[in-house]
Amino acid sequence: MMPAPGRHEPAKAGSLFSSCQKALIRLDSVSKGVVILAIGVMTCLVIVQVFCRYALSYSIDWADEMSRLAFVWTIFLALPHGVRFGIHVGIDVVVNKFSARLQDLMFRLSALLGAVLMIVVFHFGLQVTQDGWTELMPTINVTSAVYYIAVLVAAGHSLLHLLLLAWGGAKTWASIDGQNEVSA
Amino acid sequence: MTIAVIIAFLALALIGMPLAFALGLASLIGLLAGGIDLSVMPQRMLHAVDSFPLMAIPLFMLAGELMVRSGIMRLLIEFADALVGRLHGGLAHVAIVAGMILAAVTGAAVASASALGSTLVPSMRKSYDDGYSSAVIASAANLGAIIPPSNAMIVYALMAGSSVSVGGLFMSGIVPGIILTLGFMALASFISWRRGFKLTGNRLNARDLALRTWKALPVLLMPVVVVGGIIGGVFTATEGAGISVFYAFVIGMFVTRELKLSDLPDALFRAAVSAAMVGALIAFAAAVTFIFTIDMVPARIAGLLQSVTSSPEMFLILVMLILVTVGMFIESNAAYIMLVPLFAPVAISFHIDPLLFGFLFVFNLVIGMVTPPVGIVLFVMSGITKLPMARLIRNIWPYVLLQYGVLVLCMLFPDIVTALPRAMGY
Repeated sequence: MMPAPGRHEPAKAGSLFSSCQKALIRLDSVSKGVVILAIGVMTCLVIVQVFCRYALSYSIDWADEMSRLAFVWTIFLALPHGVRFGIHVGIDVVVNKFSARLQDLMFRLSALLGAVLMIVVFHFGLQVTQDGWTELMPTINVTSAVYYIAVLVAAGHSLLHLLLLAWGGAKTWASIDGQNEVSA
Repeated sequence: MTIAVIIAFLALALIGMPLAFALGLASLIGLLAGGIDLSVMPQRMLHAVDSFPLMAIPLFMLAGELMVRSGIMRLLIEFADALVGRLHGGLAHVAIVAGMILAAVTGAAVASASALGSTLVPSMRKSYDDGYSSAVIASAANLGAIIPPSNAMIVYALMAGSSVSVGGLFMSGIVPGIILTLGFMALASFISWRRGFKLTGNRLNARDLALRTWKALPVLLMPVVVVGGIIGGVFTATEGAGISVFYAFVIGMFVTRELKLSDLPDALFRAAVSAAMVGALIAFAAAVTFIFTIDMVPARIAGLLQSVTSSPEMFLILVMLILVTVGMFIESNAAYIMLVPLFAPVAISFHIDPLLFGFLFVFNLVIGMVTPPVGIVLFVMSGITKLPMARLIRNIWPYVLLQYGVLVLCMLFPDIVTALPRAMGY
């Protein structure tokens, strides 16, 4: 098996790790497009609804529900990007006191445990999605399971990111993203 | 179940796991310990996030992103410089006044720290040391979560349920926010005078001030329109946030003309990812809250505290001391999500005004954002100035003490917090 790159050792081009990283970058760019679309739709719907309500004394029936759906998709689909950029906050006061090797071990263990969480969320999310497939949203003739699909996608995408982090350690994205580019 | 959840959460958080995931795994362990069907987890996660009021958070973040890209920071700084630039510690006052106005638009301390720090640090470096500049900017950024709108208050109101309104909480932050601003300015002047920093700005010139005010007027009117609309009951916090996005977009495109359409995808993405951090905490904490409810934890805590004291004042002091400790170690959003459902109902049973309790709760945790070791605003400033945390901490403590002083003042004289919202009918 190809050795995983260490904490201070970037992935070698052409390695299995590097191929996985490239595949995830492609997935991230697709997901990024959907996130931008979802938050854009949400923003436009809120603004248009306010305009209609106050300027035209008219309310779009489905706008609130659609904007909430877009919001749910925004939050859940952006969650794995937060994993990549490392913006999900944690307590590092204790871990920082450990040796670099132990810190790396803790990081990988934490990523693995996170991956277990995502598997559980995905499995039971799938079950809930299937159970709720026949229910329709109140204002649109679409299954209400579309809300849960966002949870499924987030869990699956986060799982891939967490597994890669468990494999590559804290510096997995360092050579590509540099310092965290997205701040909370 | 609750004990299993708490032990698991502490163990996972201490190994450095992101708090959102630590909450998720802890709730998973709690659900398994209680023999509860695990499908509760995705259901709770979704229902927690599927909330119209919560949508205000990414929208305010987006408004902040658009403002920074629109060159609005420059207009704000020029206005503040013309107004207070000549005072002792002139650029510090500029940072504080700009921070106050920015607070009335973005609603987030971290976003304010990032915007103020990246814009003002280069000029402040010419006149002051980085420790002084960073401490002033970090404190000014904290106003972001106190002066309305405030994302922290939105999260609090959501977690507290129907006991408190977002508009009421927003109103409660206005007077303490002004007191804090004036306090920061007085402290910055005093420290600047003690350290013998040179005067920086030009003398106050009515013509120049009028010109700068005119140029900054569209920006200065933004909080009046957005916050005024929200607290006046004209529109909800989410609708107000939508209007602030539209306003920032129009100013950037047609007034300053510095915002480009090509800036939009990045601004939208950054706002989404920043909001996802809060969303992830809310989603994963939902199952923990569910377990606490099944175990009747709030009722037990109320019983325990009532057996210790029957005095509302003593209860408030106990909660504030807990929050000071929690604020030092846990990120504030995580603390709201875990602790508001526990303490807010108990505060009602002690007959404490929900608005007063909500404001003090938020204010205390906001101060935690500039207290070591886990002060997220300090990390942002340290990142911008490359200043070691130890030097930053040495400079920030007078401002932290001032904030705790104002917190105590609000506890002693609750009218500072409640008079304005009550007068407005909240």
